[in-house]
Amino acid sequence: MSRAARPPFPFALLRFWLVRILPAWCGIALLIFLMQIAVSAIVHDNEKVKTMLAFIDMLPSIVKSALGGEMLRMGNTAGLIAIGYNHPFVLFLFMLYAVGTPTGLLAGEVQRGTMELILSRSVTKTQVYLCAGILTLVGMFALVLVMFLGTVAAVNIFTFKDRVPLDVFFRIAINGGLLASTFGAFALLCAGTFGRLYAAVSVAVAFLVVNYFVAIISNWWPRMAFLKPVTLFYLIDSSNLWAGWPLRNMGILLAILLAAAGLGAVIWHRRDLPL
Amino acid sequence: MAAIEIESLTKWYGRTRGVEEVTFAIERGEIFGYLGPNGSGKTTTIRCLMGLLRPSGGAVRVLGERVAPGRGTQHARIGYLPGDFRIWGRAKARRSLGLLAALGSDGSTARRRELAARLELNLDRAVGDLSKGNRQKVALLSAFQHRPQVLVLDEPTAGLDPLMRQAALDLIRETAAGGAAVLLSSHDLSEVSAVCSRAAILREGRLVEMAPIAQIIEQGEHRLKIWFRDGALVRDVPLARLPGVRIVEQEPGMLHVAYQGTADAILKWAAQFPVDRVATPQTSLEEAFIQYYRRPPNAEGETAKGGRS
Repeated sequence: MSRAARPPFPFALLRFWLVRILPAWCGIALLIFLMQIAVSAIVHDNEKVKTMLAFIDMLPSIVKSALGGEMLRMGNTAGLIAIGYNHPFVLFLFMLYAVGTPTGLLAGEVQRGTMELILSRSVTKTQVYLCAGILTLVGMFALVLVMFLGTVAAVNIFTFKDRVPLDVFFRIAINGGLLASTFGAFALLCAGTFGRLYAAVSVAVAFLVVNYFVAIISNWWPRMAFLKPVTLFYLIDSSNLWAGWPLRNMGILLAILLAAAGLGAVIWHRRDLPL
Repeated sequence: MAAIEIESLTKWYGRTRGVEEVTFAIERGEIFGYLGPNGSGKTTTIRCLMGLLRPSGGAVRVLGERVAPGRGTQHARIGYLPGDFRIWGRAKARRSLGLLAALGSDGSTARRRELAARLELNLDRAVGDLSKGNRQKVALLSAFQHRPQVLVLDEPTAGLDPLMRQAALDLIRETAAGGAAVLLSSHDLSEVSAVCSRAAILREGRLVEMAPIAQIIEQGEHRLKIWFRDGALVRDVPLARLPGVRIVEQEPGMLHVAYQGTADAILKWAAQFPVDRVATPQTSLEEAFIQYYRRPPNAEGETAKGGRS
């Protein structure tokens, strides 16, 4: 029995999918960038900061936890800028990309019936999965880079009384990207496992929402503090990030990311697609 | 060596049978009809052949290489047209076809342009804006544009007007004449009898017949129409004494019967009446096909195995 070589990597599919997701990526990137500028525009002015802190102080403590908790205090300029990184709207944008990209590309093509056409050409299922994974992970890290560039631009546009530690923001961005990519890998696992788009999206979003609210509640309610370690958000603990690179947590996140993506690849390759 | 070899292919979906013990082979240059009603297992066979489904048993070889599900190693040389052809609706036909061509072959556009001109298809329109017939032309282009050595076509002329249908059938004949093996699954039996040399008939996941088209037709019922002089009414046809005969139509002065085997018994019986004239309408593949589905299932499990005639 002769055995033909593995088909070459399908760069054409990668380009085709890139062009399809690019408008959404650009929209998300623009909003994230503008959000950093807007937050910096507010926090560089002491009067505005006082007003903002007074406003935040009126919010329920659970909302303050969601916005950054202890970092939100007068004089901690960097902590206030970090609101732009922790803000639920920014997290929503990241998660929109993390969940939407792999599920839309894999489960979406299956549901549309176009996956049958793709797989009828000289391409392996694993290569198709890799294309979706590459676009998810590279797109995610490109978004965190845009977020960091937003801060860099804001620091150059506005005058801050204190020095803004850009190295810390770079660390936060990279770790945030790693966290969002881990959720992206979980969404990739869902996309590889479920035949229907809504099922893949529902499970990925449920996993994300449960993680997020467990993180918020365990930070806000001391009696629930024991739940902190069970969420992925625990792995980007802000106190660690200010001190230096949290290599152990980054390693754990990377391991979870690779495990989820690898498991998704095995399931995707082994199962019959509902064509 | 056959271009397509399917050996004891079995596919179960949980406890539901897709196909069981299906065996056949298709030579280069041959157009092979694959027939069966909805749910008989045609699409399952095709998807196993394309490596889109993982068989429960048996083996599939294309151009001498065993098909490994999900690996697509021979797909650059296969042209595939699925029965339910769906493509990116918002993209222009040119772009979608360009992607499919680029996945595994040179992606050259000359053949695509030539085929589009031949099928009178505008490649610069979004596929979603095209009529059903024009979408089917896009499907044909996707299967033929890379000069495949093996063609797997599921209902290739669905939705085409008679002129384009003829153009599509010519395209299939030319490709086969150029040495490609063609597996043609279709419900349009006139189409199958027009282009195929051999055919296989599937029933409930099992192969019940595989033979040259002429032989399949020959094995079916034959028809006989007898007109009696002066409109004589033949009331009671003694079917009990005429085994294999059934009445298709009966009018005053005319009897239309179908029979299996020879016409000897029915002609001898009719000769006792004043016969005006006799006609023998040609049996079609469609009639032969329907008969396979009228027969009760073989208790031992009917499988027309293997051989090529």
